[in-house]
Amino acid sequence: MEILPKYGLLYSDESFEMVLCKPKILPLKSVTLEKLENMQKQAQEALKMQEQQQDTAD
Amino acid sequence: MDPLYMANSLFRRRRFEDCVQVCTEILEANPYDQAAWFLKLRSLTEQTYVDEVDMDEEGIAEAFLDDTAIADVARPGTSLKGPPGTTSRGLSQGIRPVSQSGRPLSGFVRPGTQGGRPGTMEQALRTARTAMTARPVTSASGRHVRLGTASMLTEPGGPFVDVSKLNMSKYSQRPALAKALFEYLFHHENNVRAALDLAALATEACQFGDWWWKIQLGKCYYRLGMYRDAESQFKSSLKHFSTIDMFLYLGKVYVKLDQPLSALDYYKRGLEKFPNNTSLLIAIARIHEGLNDLDSAVEYYRQVLKYDSTCVEAIACIGTHHFYNDQPEIALRFYRRLLQVGVYNAELFTNLGLCCFYAQQYDMAISCLLRGLQLSPNDDNTADVWYNIGHITLAVGSVSLAYQCFKLALTSNNSHAEAYNNLGVIEWRRGRGEQAMTCFQSSASISPHLYQPHYNLAAASEKTGNLHSSYSCVKKSLEVFPEHLDSAELMKQLQQHFAAL
Repeated sequence: MEILPKYGLLYSDESFEMVLCKPKILPLKSVTLEKLENMQKQAQEALKMQEQQQDTAD
Repeated sequence: MDPLYMANSLFRRRRFEDCVQVCTEILEANPYDQAAWFLKLRSLTEQTYVDEVDMDEEGIAEAFLDDTAIADVARPGTSLKGPPGTTSRGLSQGIRPVSQSGRPLSGFVRPGTQGGRPGTMEQALRTARTAMTARPVTSASGRHVRLGTASMLTEPGGPFVDVSKLNMSKYSQRPALAKALFEYLFHHENNVRAALDLAALATEACQFGDWWWKIQLGKCYYRLGMYRDAESQFKSSLKHFSTIDMFLYLGKVYVKLDQPLSALDYYKRGLEKFPNNTSLLIAIARIHEGLNDLDSAVEYYRQVLKYDSTCVEAIACIGTHHFYNDQPEIALRFYRRLLQVGVYNAELFTNLGLCCFYAQQYDMAISCLLRGLQLSPNDDNTADVWYNIGHITLAVGSVSLAYQCFKLALTSNNSHAEAYNNLGVIEWRRGRGEQAMTCFQSSASISPHLYQPHYNLAAASEKTGNLHSSYSCVKKSLEVFPEHLDSAELMKQLQQHFAAL
């Protein structure tokens, strides 16, 4: 049942509150993904090493 | 000791680099030693071997120039693409964050799920520019090729097998050698075309009677983007013999074709043949998750745990589900279980910290998060940990510390949209409107799939009297999250304003 006040001023003041982004649970990585990332990292390091060797040779 | 025996032993102990070295020495002495050649081939393959069932990468070209799509707007519940803004059953975006594709964040990432399907071409191109979520232009130019070229570079004497000089028909007559050579071409060289040639000749050689070669043909077609051909190969191999892999591959093809229901159908058929197989159950759960049906997904993950109580994916996904369903205590138990299983990384400790905090175990929360920071392998991860620490400090009431945390998150990862948004909120509360608006704007431009920055920007613009921009922002917010009450209310107010004018 709705109750309305019989006297006094009735007003509602809507103010818009800012919203925060929610805390983020971090997803775990699958084994395949970790292996891939490792391989990529190793490959990059190998590339860098080779470039460095070439630079010193020049 | 006989060097070949030595090499064999090294191979069995998975010391592939040493094995390659020994084999190379044998081959230098006698280049025609087939046993050594075979062993070297196998160990080079093993070094770069990735299970093809899990391997998936979607490039920009596949996502947009998709000629296998039947309808632009699929019927609800039949497509993994789903229009943006469709909310999941039971959980709103206000509680569980969403990924770029508008799907609720999963508790587990695999090679294919990293980027998610972008909503627009523009979004896909933009994310390609940030370092970590780099999206290849096509899947053929993704990780496969990068790894392929790198693996060749590291070999001092050039590539081991000269693919252009291979006499494929000769090898295809010798089943054992052909299989090893195929795997080498496919996994190590990433030369899918050559691998396809070999596979085609080899199936012919065995009168189309070998299911193994049909699967390999299907794998090649899949990599080349010819999904219908891949489908027919997998189906035909299923007639000869059935393995779990075949059902998984077929499911993968149907996911690529955006027919999740057919994929489910095949997984269920697989379950009839291999009852309670966890790989198939997980595949089903993933599809349900992709279809936004989180409750069924969790149901299947639970079934998986019945048969394999150490399955990391299932535990992580159920944990995430409980966390966002307001049951951090139960989530904590699942994550603790992961720790028992042997997972030890930054993500897990961050999650444990969050669960501890929301389960009111404050002493543990801080130490877990600190451990998370220590273990964090890269900047992106560090940013996420700082972002979560920021939340906890905000909840404790220490706003200035939270401010620092969000700043630190941004120092580690300059495109952390959530941190920008939260920083904006703090700036707004401190009465620095200009800075707050800039934060919201950068947040909205980095991640247009979040509703918060759009809504905040709209609310801030409304307060500063800039009704028009407020209107356009709130429209965007409602596009992303139609059920957001405050956005709808703001929209109504703005419409009243405009009507009065």
